[in-house]
Amino acid sequence: MDMIMAKTLSFGVNGVNGYPVHVEVFGINGIPGVEIIGLPDASVRESRDRVNAAIINSGKQMPPRRITINLAPADMKKEGPSFDLPIAVGVLIANREIIPDPAVQTEKIAMFGELSLDGHVQPIAGALPMVISAKENGIRDVILPEKNAKEAACIEGMNIMPVSHLRQVIAFLEGSDTIEKQEQITFDSLKSEIIVAPDMAQIKGQGGAKRALEVAAAGGHNMIMIGVPGSGKTMLARCLPGILPPLSFEEALETTRIHSISGKLPPNSGLMVMRPFCAPHHNASVASLIGGGQDAKPGEVSLAHNGVLFLDELPEFSRGALEALRQPLEDGTVNVARVKKQAQYQSSFMLIAAMNPCPCGFYGSARKVCRCTPQEIRRYLDRISGPLLDRIDLQIEVDAVPVQEINSSAPAEPSAAVAARVNAARTIQLERYRGTGKHCNAQLNNEEVKQYCSPDAEGLRLLNAAMDTLHLSMRGYQRILKVARTIADLDYTDLIGSAHIAEAIQYRELDQKYWR
Amino acid sequence: MSILATESSGFVFHAWLASAALPPGIISRLLEEYGTPENVRKAIQSGHNRTDSIPAAGLKTLKQNDVDEWLEKEEQLLLQNGIKAFTIKDHEYPATLLQMEEPPAILFYQGNPQCMNQKNLAMVGSRAASYAGQKAAGKIARNLSRKGIGIISGMAGGIDTASHAGCIEGGSRTIAVTGCGLDIVYPSSNIRLRDRILENDGLLLSEYAPGEKPVGWHFPFRNRIITGLARALIVIEAKIRSGTMTSVQHALSQGKDVFVYPGDPTSLYFEGNHRLLREGAIYFTTAEDILEDLGWLDNPGIIRQNSDCSDRTQASTPEEKAVLSALEPGKLGFEQIADRSGLSPAALMSTLTMLQIKGMIEALPGKQYQLKDKDNQHDSDPEE
Repeated sequence: MDMIMAKTLSFGVNGVNGYPVHVEVFGINGIPGVEIIGLPDASVRESRDRVNAAIINSGKQMPPRRITINLAPADMKKEGPSFDLPIAVGVLIANREIIPDPAVQTEKIAMFGELSLDGHVQPIAGALPMVISAKENGIRDVILPEKNAKEAACIEGMNIMPVSHLRQVIAFLEGSDTIEKQEQITFDSLKSEIIVAPDMAQIKGQGGAKRALEVAAAGGHNMIMIGVPGSGKTMLARCLPGILPPLSFEEALETTRIHSISGKLPPNSGLMVMRPFCAPHHNASVASLIGGGQDAKPGEVSLAHNGVLFLDELPEFSRGALEALRQPLEDGTVNVARVKKQAQYQSSFMLIAAMNPCPCGFYGSARKVCRCTPQEIRRYLDRISGPLLDRIDLQIEVDAVPVQEINSSAPAEPSAAVAARVNAARTIQLERYRGTGKHCNAQLNNEEVKQYCSPDAEGLRLLNAAMDTLHLSMRGYQRILKVARTIADLDYTDLIGSAHIAEAIQYRELDQKYWR
Repeated sequence: MSILATESSGFVFHAWLASAALPPGIISRLLEEYGTPENVRKAIQSGHNRTDSIPAAGLKTLKQNDVDEWLEKEEQLLLQNGIKAFTIKDHEYPATLLQMEEPPAILFYQGNPQCMNQKNLAMVGSRAASYAGQKAAGKIARNLSRKGIGIISGMAGGIDTASHAGCIEGGSRTIAVTGCGLDIVYPSSNIRLRDRILENDGLLLSEYAPGEKPVGWHFPFRNRIITGLARALIVIEAKIRSGTMTSVQHALSQGKDVFVYPGDPTSLYFEGNHRLLREGAIYFTTAEDILEDLGWLDNPGIIRQNSDCSDRTQASTPEEKAVLSALEPGKLGFEQIADRSGLSPAALMSTLTMLQIKGMIEALPGKQYQLKDKDNQHDSDPEE
């Protein structure tokens, strides 16, 4: 009996982690056909037709045999078209269409890539976790689609071989040609390419809101902005990634991984060096925010990991979606459980929310008259639940100020200058919380607030006076202390004084005016 | 009688007599005959023939309630809430109420009953009021109050709340006439307002015994007391069919002037106002208009010194002075203050808090601030 057999190596993705997949090809005489086993999904099963066409278009033959392809381990669900390339290579070797060069250890080369019918290799989602997994499994050589090369190039000690056509792979395995290696791209070289857009200097006026943004960035505090339409809330939020400290390599890896598996990385892009800014529309479902779908894909909260989640028109989000934010806000991770799959994704983000003060948007505006009744305003504000508000440290009002009303021509500060102060404050915090597992003031619990955020006597007297005269809530009390800690850090001082407390009180103004 | 042995408010039989929802006229006649509620009780117990005028249902309720359990519970409510009472026979009873149809026979009160003797105006309007209406009510009440005029209203939401609050801010004493027992605050969101009224030497009045629930028919009925106590009625905001319109009916039948605030003619909220104006109500826009028409311009009421205003810490730092002088011309947004005072946002934030705590400025929605005293003294609010 004429039997043939070949093995190639590939990688799959489960959650944010890659795992090795052995592609075994077995052929025997019989009614011609290809069967793929090992829990393939539809896109994997369709692989046989793509592989067939790609092989023929690469100048090789598909002999009439009965071929079985097993994707081991057989108990994990395989999805996506990334197995096209290892399957094609396995089939070619099994059919002796390729006689590999003895110098090439085919089974030690990780391969992944989608094939088009003409034999071109297309980019895939999840290249980064696959390459990381290859490294963890002691594999050095990786053949992958050209457009995924940069994404993988930041992993040290790997031999990344980008290809654009199946013919290149065939030539390489036969030893008749080489593949040009992808140079390793160092993280620092990527960082130098950061373009901060938009820059704070582009915002005229809005000194108060900009200062609040700086405080939020310095302490990692969540923030809510209330303001009339067109007051620049969105623009302010978009500036935030530019004043946050740059991503560390580990953070960049974490964030890029999540974007990689959701296929959100643009082709030819490397590791993400900018903090992500996610702004889902307010009709977003719970699953799209938190993660879900059949394959338990990561949601916006995870895509915003280590970055900013901006929710514009906060009260317009469904109640369920808003309440679902509470776990990721608290824990920095989400567990996405579906019938077929479960996954845990990191989701440590800064929440920036924006909303109008009332349904018509003009409550409190000096320039337009609000048409809402107090009841309507109440109902609108009540869509934001107390527990969610509890997780938001800074509350500010943003009012549109016509440019002509600002006489001073002092140029606005660029983001870089603000970022420097933020960075310094963050360094102080890292130092202070070394060994506690915390890294910024926003993460402190009530016990730690007592330990780290005690104001001096004058500050305490002021805070107590403010509690009475300005009708602050008890929940506001803790938050004022935390924010005051951050303001003192921005001042390079260990002591929280009355000026710091007084400024922090201004960031609770919505409690006084709206959520009374 | 066990309760008489212990502490006594002295008003438990007032509550008892008020509990049967008898027409005020009948209670008045009983009091005329027997003097005090306690004597009325004795007369009923002894079956005195003059008590025949009491309707059967009312008599049944009175007898039912004349048990230790009910009286003790009522005594508790009176004592706990510091509720006192007077009848139409007592010297505290304001003469102005006697001129109306069906004057209340028994009134329960908390606070200072002297308020009924000052110059008072009634101010009414919708509970679900527009923002503009509430602003107007607050402003007019405040300006009248500054001239020593007390404001009477119903302590409901919307216009009533704004009117009471405005009166308190202006420094005069305000009177709230409620539609339920004084142990109950309705709506409950007005608990703080109730406390403020009492803290500022105001008066709470009710025809209903402690424990009486806020039943719908109470409200139009109590409106006659609001207008009855006042020299004139001010209508701020009225829809065509509303409780405010019943107040107007009461005022007219009591021969009181009715002042109507014009409001936006295209707004549904002010439909009733314009109907009333067409029917000949008195048009006004400012507190001065009212004072002029009533002939009170040169002869204001007793101006009470508002402790909130006088007890003021002076601005101490240059930053505070800069902010105060920036705010001198009127209210400003945060950015404008920053611009005019030359303070950095961080410094301005903390200065604003300090001034707020000292009570020298107040924060308005829309990130605006204004001096507390400057608040439209001359009706020059640019927003309206």
